Amino acid sequence: MTIMGILDKKLSLRDRNKMLIGVWEDEDHLMSGASELANAGVHIHDIYTPYPVHGLDRIIGARRSKLARIAFFCAITGLTLMTTMIWYMYVHDWPMNIGNKPVRFTPSWAPVMFEGTVLCTAFGMSFFFFWRNRLVHGIKNELLDIRQTDDRMVVAIETVNGMDEKAVLDIMKKHGAVEVREFHNGVQTVL
Amino acid sequence: MGHGHHHVEVKQEQFVFSPKAKRFSIILMVLGLVLVGLGIANLGGHDNKHEAKTETAAHGEHGVAAHEAEGHQAAAHEEHGNVPNEAFGPRMEFHPLDKPANTRIWANFMIVGYFFLMISLVSLMWYAIQYVANAGWSVGIKRVPEAIMTFMPVPFVILMIGLLMGKNDIYHWAHYEHLGLKPGEVGYDAILAGKSGFLNTTMLFAFPTVLVVIWYFLMRKLRALSAAEDNGTKGDVSFFRTSTKFSAAFAVIFGFTMSIIAWLLIMSVDAHWYSTIFGFYNFVTHWVTMITIMAFIVAYVKKEGYLGIVTNEHMHDLGKFMFAFTVFWAYLWLSQYLLIWYAQIPEEMAYYQIRFENYKFNFLLNFVMCFCIPFLGLLMRSAKRNRYVLAIIGSIMILGHYHDVWLMVFPGVFGSGMQFGFLELGMFLFVAGLFVYWVFTALTKRGLVAINHPYLDESVHHDVGV
Repeated sequence: MTIMGILDKKLSLRDRNKMLIGVWEDEDHLMSGASELANAGVHIHDIYTPYPVHGLDRIIGARRSKLARIAFFCAITGLTLMTTMIWYMYVHDWPMNIGNKPVRFTPSWAPVMFEGTVLCTAFGMSFFFFWRNRLVHGIKNELLDIRQTDDRMVVAIETVNGMDEKAVLDIMKKHGAVEVREFHNGVQTVL
Repeated sequence: MGHGHHHVEVKQEQFVFSPKAKRFSIILMVLGLVLVGLGIANLGGHDNKHEAKTETAAHGEHGVAAHEAEGHQAAAHEEHGNVPNEAFGPRMEFHPLDKPANTRIWANFMIVGYFFLMISLVSLMWYAIQYVANAGWSVGIKRVPEAIMTFMPVPFVILMIGLLMGKNDIYHWAHYEHLGLKPGEVGYDAILAGKSGFLNTTMLFAFPTVLVVIWYFLMRKLRALSAAEDNGTKGDVSFFRTSTKFSAAFAVIFGFTMSIIAWLLIMSVDAHWYSTIFGFYNFVTHWVTMITIMAFIVAYVKKEGYLGIVTNEHMHDLGKFMFAFTVFWAYLWLSQYLLIWYAQIPEEMAYYQIRFENYKFNFLLNFVMCFCIPFLGLLMRSAKRNRYVLAIIGSIMILGHYHDVWLMVFPGVFGSGMQFGFLELGMFLFVAGLFVYWVFTALTKRGLVAINHPYLDESVHHDVGV
């Protein structure tokens, strides 16, 4: 197992309780189904859709992404890194007289600091975004349905003790799920 | 929000300019006039002191033209004379230039007219961009820029009064033009002579007039199309398509003329100096101010119970615009300085030298008000979604950017020793009151909702996510 795989353990679908899977073919029915599930107090683990469906995040009560905070810390890191770098190179190690400009903190530092901040933020955000979405090397894809990246939408619900599984499946069917399955120990069974 | 796919029936709304808002605009105007009165009362005193202090006071005995010619030579000398670095020579010294006392009044007419002319112009640009970019989210607030852009003729008149009355004292190239010097004569200025094809009195009046006529025509055309759409039928996209064509035409015209008018009216107060980024810098100064003003009006209109279709999501996007263009402003602010600083060419230095030596407080205050405060204040998501935070930060931004325009003009016109005083603040508040009155009256002229716009539904469902 790669280091990424170990880090990924928390997000992976492995080693979970039995999951109930509903597959939809259009977002209107998916939205109404997800709404009713949420209203019935069912905790929806996640919904996988091939494209963004607006409003779904609010229905399943998704928390706000922490990407903005990550961006902030990446920016601070980049700024510190570049300020230290240019100070070391240009003031401490090898001061140079360029056009008789002062070597201490001058406007010429600003582009370096700015670019470094932007670079670190962009790379940091990309990395954490892909990692959180399980799209980096070293993480095995776990597609609940091979068509979830194409034209199907998949709702995944992790069962807990005392959950009325039949009621959940009924809600899914009522709202036009084309298939309902269960997923346990890596095996899917069509119900 | 939420159930994004349900059809929402949107009703037309009619805005009423409440007596309270009227009172507010009149208070602004009266307060402005009082401050202008105070400013003018101080003006005489300042001028007397100034006359007594300056060595050139004696020149008052000579004819006006000769007097001005010498004043100009002094100015030209200052702008060319020295390299600011100690290694190459002594630092430049700036003195108050000897100008008639009322020049300050006309210069104020000029900057306040220019500022609000650009505000109404960039609101038209904002409107045009929404069409050209096929933007859907902004349809709900579309009437606000549509109202702001109607203000265009008023600041144009104010600007023209300032130019007519004070042009020879505001622009040193304008009175150089009157001297009619030939090459070889004393006081001949090759740089000003070289620029006289662009910087001349005919150009100063004809060019803005022609442009305002063109802008005004396009503004009326786009407004007429928008009104026709309201009276048309739902599903008719012909007005939308025609608006897109006119918007594209305006965007091209604006792209060129915005820069040129900034060079002609503002950059030319330091006629020996030039900066190629200046027009763009002027654009973004007014752009970010206009977006702030727009956010203010949208927030107010919503608070009065109108525009139910405009949600916190739209306000958040306006906040993001304010934040983003604050950063962009700072980017241009620094870029303009950085190249000049690096190249170290003396004639490019004059603009910054006087602002940094004699107006250090204003120069730094400008950066704090236009960048530091909005950047830190609007960084967080919750700040952009809070209308009280937007109101406080936005007020600082609007004043800061007006002060920015002041700083572009006044040191160039008057030399050292000017202050952003009662007169400047008063003129600004007076025209701001007029602006509020005018824009809110324009808002009442048609329904608040672009009821037949093809993207209305998209705007209603606009959601930036959790």
